[in-house]
Amino acid sequence: MRELVSELRERTATARLGGSEKARDRHVARGKLLPRDRVDRLLDPGSPFLEIGALAAYDLYGDDPFAVPSAGIITGIGRVAGRECVIVANDATVKGGTYYPLTVKKHLRAQTIAAENRLPCLYLVDSGGAFLPMQDEVFPDREHFGRIFFHQAQMSAQGIPQVAAVMGSCTAGGAYVPAMSDETVIVREQGTIFLGGPPLVKAATGEVVTAEELGGGDVHAKVSGVVDHLAEDDDHALQLVRSIVDTFARPQTPSIDRREPLPPREDPDELYDVVPVDSRTPYDVREVISRIVDDSRLHEFKPLYGETLVCGFAHIDGWPVAILANNGILFSESALKGAHFIELANQRGIPLVFLQNITGFMVGREYESGGIAKDGAKLVTAVASSVVPKFTVVIGGSFGAGNYGMCGRAYDPRFLWMWPNAKISVMGGEQAASVLATVRGDFESPEAEEDFKAPIRDRYETQGSAYYSTARLWDDGIIDPVDTRRVLALGLSAAAHAPVPEPRFGVFRM
Amino acid sequence: MTLQSLLVANRGEIAARVLRACRELGIRGIAVHVAGDTAHLAAAAAVVEVPSYLDGAAIVAAAREAGAEAIHPGYGFLSENAGFARQVTDAGLVFVGPDTDVIELMGRKDRAREVAERAGVPVMPRYEPDAVPSDAFPVLVKAAAGGGGKGMHVVRRAEDLADAWATAAREAQAAFGDDTLLIERYVEGGRHVEVQVFGDRHGDVVHLFERDCSAQRRHQKVVEEAPAPHLDSAVRERILSAAVALSREVGYVGAGTVEFLVKGDEAFFLEMNTRLQVEHPVTEEVTRTDLVHWQLAVAAGEPLPMTQDDLTCRGHAIEVRVYAEDPYAGFLPQAGRVREAWWPVARVETVVEDGTTISSAFDPMLAKVVATGADRDEAIAAMVEALDETALFGVTTNVGFLRRLVDSAAFRAGDVDTGWLDTSAGDLLEAPTLPAEAVHGAAALLWPEAGDGWRVAGDAAPVVRPVVDETGERHDVTDALAPSGPATIDGVRAWVAVEGQPWVFERPDGTRRPRAVHAGDAEVTAPMPGTVISVEVAEGDRVHAGQRLGAVEAMKMELALTASHDGVVTHVSAVAGRQVKMGELLFHVEAQEDR
Repeated sequence: MRELVSELRERTATARLGGSEKARDRHVARGKLLPRDRVDRLLDPGSPFLEIGALAAYDLYGDDPFAVPSAGIITGIGRVAGRECVIVANDATVKGGTYYPLTVKKHLRAQTIAAENRLPCLYLVDSGGAFLPMQDEVFPDREHFGRIFFHQAQMSAQGIPQVAAVMGSCTAGGAYVPAMSDETVIVREQGTIFLGGPPLVKAATGEVVTAEELGGGDVHAKVSGVVDHLAEDDDHALQLVRSIVDTFARPQTPSIDRREPLPPREDPDELYDVVPVDSRTPYDVREVISRIVDDSRLHEFKPLYGETLVCGFAHIDGWPVAILANNGILFSESALKGAHFIELANQRGIPLVFLQNITGFMVGREYESGGIAKDGAKLVTAVASSVVPKFTVVIGGSFGAGNYGMCGRAYDPRFLWMWPNAKISVMGGEQAASVLATVRGDFESPEAEEDFKAPIRDRYETQGSAYYSTARLWDDGIIDPVDTRRVLALGLSAAAHAPVPEPRFGVFRM
Repeated sequence: MTLQSLLVANRGEIAARVLRACRELGIRGIAVHVAGDTAHLAAAAAVVEVPSYLDGAAIVAAAREAGAEAIHPGYGFLSENAGFARQVTDAGLVFVGPDTDVIELMGRKDRAREVAERAGVPVMPRYEPDAVPSDAFPVLVKAAAGGGGKGMHVVRRAEDLADAWATAAREAQAAFGDDTLLIERYVEGGRHVEVQVFGDRHGDVVHLFERDCSAQRRHQKVVEEAPAPHLDSAVRERILSAAVALSREVGYVGAGTVEFLVKGDEAFFLEMNTRLQVEHPVTEEVTRTDLVHWQLAVAAGEPLPMTQDDLTCRGHAIEVRVYAEDPYAGFLPQAGRVREAWWPVARVETVVEDGTTISSAFDPMLAKVVATGADRDEAIAAMVEALDETALFGVTTNVGFLRRLVDSAAFRAGDVDTGWLDTSAGDLLEAPTLPAEAVHGAAALLWPEAGDGWRVAGDAAPVVRPVVDETGERHDVTDALAPSGPATIDGVRAWVAVEGQPWVFERPDGTRRPRAVHAGDAEVTAPMPGTVISVEVAEGDRVHAGQRLGAVEAMKMELALTASHDGVVTHVSAVAGRQVKMGELLFHVEAQEDR
């Protein structure tokens, strides 16, 4: 596990460098701060930054796994002027900050997090707009570029503040980010906003105009009124954004009751040792729970029934949580226990934490005839109908219907994180190869069958890796297991900003 | 007889000091004050408002009204005013001090000189104004009726004498109503050493050893100590006995000070102060006495509490005077409200506390801090430590300067003469540079809840606490450290004192950045459609930021047109009476090159 974590830290560190050294040097030479420095300076001193999708687009575009590091956009939750905010910062050192398909997806994901948790959005804009060679995957569909502005309008309507600082280009569609914001800052002689840049203007009308004359800070702050504040430099712009955030009304009392936090009694560092890297090796998930929760204390529900699903109430950094953790394959009893427990958590308004390590539901005649499908459905219904905030951490395997019952991405957890050892696919590579071999049948030799199965296994192995998942934003990031408590605590703190509605469940098939 | 009640005709720390003694002795202490000046009243049993601390008649009337038997004049104000002493005694009250004629006699420098000569006390050679030998320069011209350095001029060349004479005469007339002057030899590099004397109504006079007050700025004492460092023992003996002899000569009663100028083995009588001195605490510390108690005993007709043989001088004591002044801007007096007062664990004579308003209407001395030790080095160490713990946030004071002065090599060596601060203090008078400790302390105060900079799957980001100092410079602090000395915060600003010097910081605030983005508007345009009603500058005029260039009348309002920066008017298109459109160019002000 330690090796997996050091690989994760290396890859994350590389992605965090941003664009090429040349691109970064050019950026800094213009008097601009690098995007991660902008984020750091925007945040309160020492504020944690719960970055979302640091390895998005990893090994996805071109031969270099870091061709578009972090998908060219930095997103996450951090504290600004004492308020938790979602920050979306373009990285102009990566292809001029243009939007690849994953850039769009990541921007939208950050906005979804902001909307679900009612967090103000701060956009640090420095982008050339859509990546034109891939316009068909960026522009037209429902979850494409236009959705960014749809989200902005929707959130603004819900009273979730939208603030933009224009610190570089803001061209074409991108121009709507500041224009659609509630309050906007621009950096003089650096930020520009226009629907069509100087080359397009020249082509369209023959007018020759500089970028600054066309859409610079002076124009927009003094003449057009597109922006509200004129900053002298990046630093000043960030200070003005902080000042804007400082004017927001304080958040209402958190929707979740928090108590005085206590550290775990068991050392979280031991997580590296208690969890076997090979997902097939069984271990007691309580070893994980006790290294995540306050005082290592778990009020376990039905400890003697449906033992393959551990359920229990605990606190994480003072926040109450209802934890469901796999401790083996799901049986009917485990599913029923889980559904019951989820109802309890909803009745009590306690957020749910799923620690996923599931190969699936039990199969076989006995279990099918016992109605495991309808018991599994009860668990899935309970998960899907839950109104309390849900958090999922994939700490091992995430296979098949187990993913559904344990609140996979499709079940709208507020956040979903992966451990570096996590695997995710519809079934295991070995099982998939066997199933497909059986379907095809009729091999000349065992060697031929093996030749058939090997590539399938390899493909499942690749596609099932945490990196494959996180590159596509099937999750919100791969985390160091030792940080699980920290990450959950930050997620819970964010979630406490949104009210919890009255619970109401769908029909449970009895 | 013992005194039952006493009125203190003074304010500030000395009033509080005397009232404290009254309380200790079971005497009813009565305070006077002028409207709004109330900080010294806390210890008073009764309070009477007077129109002025210099209004002797009103003070005597107040003493009668409040049933006081005696009046203590403190120092300054009416303390050496023979007329006041006479008013007091004429009213049948006891004046805490010597007899009126002694005050009068010693108040005249010319006559005091004569008395000293009679008593065999060495005096400075004196010259007639029209007969100053050419080799006598430098000489000192001083007012015969003067004190406190007023009307005192050093003249180094014969040709400057006439001017200095005229100036001194004018000053003396203004300050004392008497323009009599005298000219004496001026001794450079001398030290101010003074002897505390005490006499009673039974004819006894003792000395309580000497004090050195050489650290002076323009004749204003800054640091005083007892005993005097490096004082030749023969000279000491000579001045102590001379002071007693002089006091006996005039039949001195009460607390007095005989001042000498000492250089090498020479000592010259300067003057006698017929009152309790500001610096009396250092004498009290080394002699283990309470001089106010002594004053009140003597005023009650009792004999001196101790004989000369009983009096000893043990250890070393230093006093510094804390002033509301800016040592780095020509010692300009300061005023304001003390946000928070930090006083050290040491003897502090003051009435200044949190929230006290410092008025420029009175002497800017705020406090005296007194430190002691078994020897001079220990006393200096104690004073340095005390001043490290001293701060008056909100008002500019000389505390940091005092700290540097006491800690300086020259002072530590005991090498300071009366001219030193004015001529050789060198970098002591240059504003200190911002110490890192202050910046780090402010960062810890302004960002108390900084997190650990945690990041997902990576190293924590450096925890940077940005603070902005008074000059607007930003400091990104990575090693914040809670201040060890005086410090406070009002939520937005932090005050941190390091070695007595206070510094103010705040968090960076984009709204407070200099509005360079708004300045630089060279073009002044019509803010509304209207009529130009005045044009007040012409092309080529130099203007300053905010200066009115002209005005436009629109919608029944007169709108002033002002320069956004210092510069030169290079273009005027405004014409009075002419209609203008909104945004029409009226003036052009080219910014000054050097800004």
